[in-house]
Amino acid sequence: MKIKNLYFLLVASLIVFGVSSCGTKTEAKKDCQMKVGIVFDIGGKNDRSFNAAAWEGVRRAERDLPICLYDVEPGNPTSIEPAMRAFAEKNFDLIIGIGFAQGPIMQKVADDYPEIKFAIVDGVIFEKDGKTPKQNVASLVFREHEGSYLVGMIAAQKSKTGVLGFVGGMDIPLIHRFKTGYEEGAKSVNPNATVIANYVGVTDSAWNNPGKGKELALSQINQGADVIFTAAGNSGLGAFDAVERFGKNAEGEANKFVIGVDSNQNGVKPGFVLTSMVKRVDNAVYDVVKEVLGGNFKGGFHVFGLDKDGVAYMMDENNRNLISPEILQRVEEARGKIVAGEITVTDAMAK
Amino acid sequence: MSEIFTIALLFSTIRFATPLIFAALGGMFSERSGVINIALEGLMLAGAFTAAVITFETGNPFLGLLCGMIAGAVLALVYAVACIKFEADQVVAGFGINILMLGLPALLSGAMYDSAGSTEQIAKADLLPEFFGINIASFLAFLLVPVCWYVLYKTPFGLRLRATGENPAAADAAGVSVNKLRYTAVVLSGVLAAAGGAYLSIGQSSLFTRGMTAGRGFIALAALILAKWRPVQVLLACLFFGFTEALTIPLANIKTASGENVPVQFIQIIPYVLTIIVLAGFIGLSRAPKALGIPYRKEK
Repeated sequence: MKIKNLYFLLVASLIVFGVSSCGTKTEAKKDCQMKVGIVFDIGGKNDRSFNAAAWEGVRRAERDLPICLYDVEPGNPTSIEPAMRAFAEKNFDLIIGIGFAQGPIMQKVADDYPEIKFAIVDGVIFEKDGKTPKQNVASLVFREHEGSYLVGMIAAQKSKTGVLGFVGGMDIPLIHRFKTGYEEGAKSVNPNATVIANYVGVTDSAWNNPGKGKELALSQINQGADVIFTAAGNSGLGAFDAVERFGKNAEGEANKFVIGVDSNQNGVKPGFVLTSMVKRVDNAVYDVVKEVLGGNFKGGFHVFGLDKDGVAYMMDENNRNLISPEILQRVEEARGKIVAGEITVTDAMAK
Repeated sequence: MSEIFTIALLFSTIRFATPLIFAALGGMFSERSGVINIALEGLMLAGAFTAAVITFETGNPFLGLLCGMIAGAVLALVYAVACIKFEADQVVAGFGINILMLGLPALLSGAMYDSAGSTEQIAKADLLPEFFGINIASFLAFLLVPVCWYVLYKTPFGLRLRATGENPAAADAAGVSVNKLRYTAVVLSGVLAAAGGAYLSIGQSSLFTRGMTAGRGFIALAALILAKWRPVQVLLACLFFGFTEALTIPLANIKTASGENVPVQFIQIIPYVLTIIVLAGFIGLSRAPKALGIPYRKEK
């Protein structure tokens, strides 16, 4: 290769990488009454789903409250613990861990720093006896099966084929909870409905493999599925691409639908997203920050179900026309019954 | 069985095989010249990330693909300098590149989009187009196979490349500039592997996510060895690996006699188990280019 060509490559690469270095932004912060550190899950804070919901919550807290916010997006599971300990060493007032994978880590770190307050989403932390909820940790858990039940009802009523898809991220009990709720909800309106369930993988890379997510969705569509519920972080976005491939019919309605998860994903592919099973991680972390600031932090388990709007199905301008009032009415009735305890949705994690 | 072996499975196989074909053909040039290329994974990530960013910013997937390939070339050049000029251990340097590319895109995307985990999603209209349900990149991958075959076996460049990988001293004596040729081969492998990565982010998916290659670079390497470093066999090996990957999807829904699903872990190890079986048992004598992994120092 000629030297000239090499120079060309070098210059081109500088342009490629140079473009990317101008985006850094730092925000000088007003008075800082409290330092909050948040450690995200492997998906990263902009997964438009689970982590994004947590990010939205702490950002709102940063805007509204006199706090300083620091965040870490760990590159792999082994960098979670150092990040958490680094926050603790610097005497942060509150450290938030996002995702079930941080449970065992926070268990150790919270033991070592009893003076610091912790919060974990999707995990439960006990004292050393293994029974009492840990006092300096707020364990924020959600009743995902309840919300999934409702979107399952919507999916089954919307489906023309009676075949529904479910694309899970990692094959773990937490994700099974989405699936069983979804299936039960679907069968409650159409006993003949079938749910085809696939999982992206069995390691944490399962949250970051949109190509595989798309393949799974396409395979389910091929088997007749016309509504697909995802609970797979970044991989779920592949399912969004998959349904978009099938376009819209003559009336301008999508032929295949996807149901988003955790954050409101209705706007990710407007018209193709039937609804989103939102998990109000944002509200939960916001409230924890507020409680710590106000001095009324409570350790132990905080459970968010349909009753507290901790989980919900999302209606907005993007999907208002996709779901008829009759469907909504039926879903709302079921919602009332679940809250009142008349319907019990199976919790796959309780087994 | 008929519900498993469908036309959809064929399409799925092609989609899974496409990035492997690019990467394995890339690896072939590098290894045929005598440089181990364990960095395929990192080179793919470089291509995937750059393509996703450029396509998102400009809305032109072909420009994205081109820039991705350039990024792959640049990164491969770094690798080549380490391995050829400084005679670094090729496996260690290759892993260095892979680890670098787990971190660097995250750093850049964190700076650009305030999100280390993924880049912004690209609109469908701006992705690499599809024809007859098959992505243009897949056609390109299949087209590359005869091209690579021709280059490797029918051109002076290919002859010199093969000679360099087998007996660099003899090639040198015959007037071939061994190290110059190796630089070219490694950079070429970066270009091709990066194209495979770009397909992942702007063809198959619509964004870059951290570590999105998920081991495909290593599968490509396995395919290359299975194919005994020959282009047509590379295609077949990649199709085989693509097929095993595609097969896991319908298999996951097969019920056992008692009506239970087969545990997904068993299904998902199929490609890897098959890889081991095939590599260990069925390919027979696999002879790598003789000078593979050995830096060449010209006698003064």
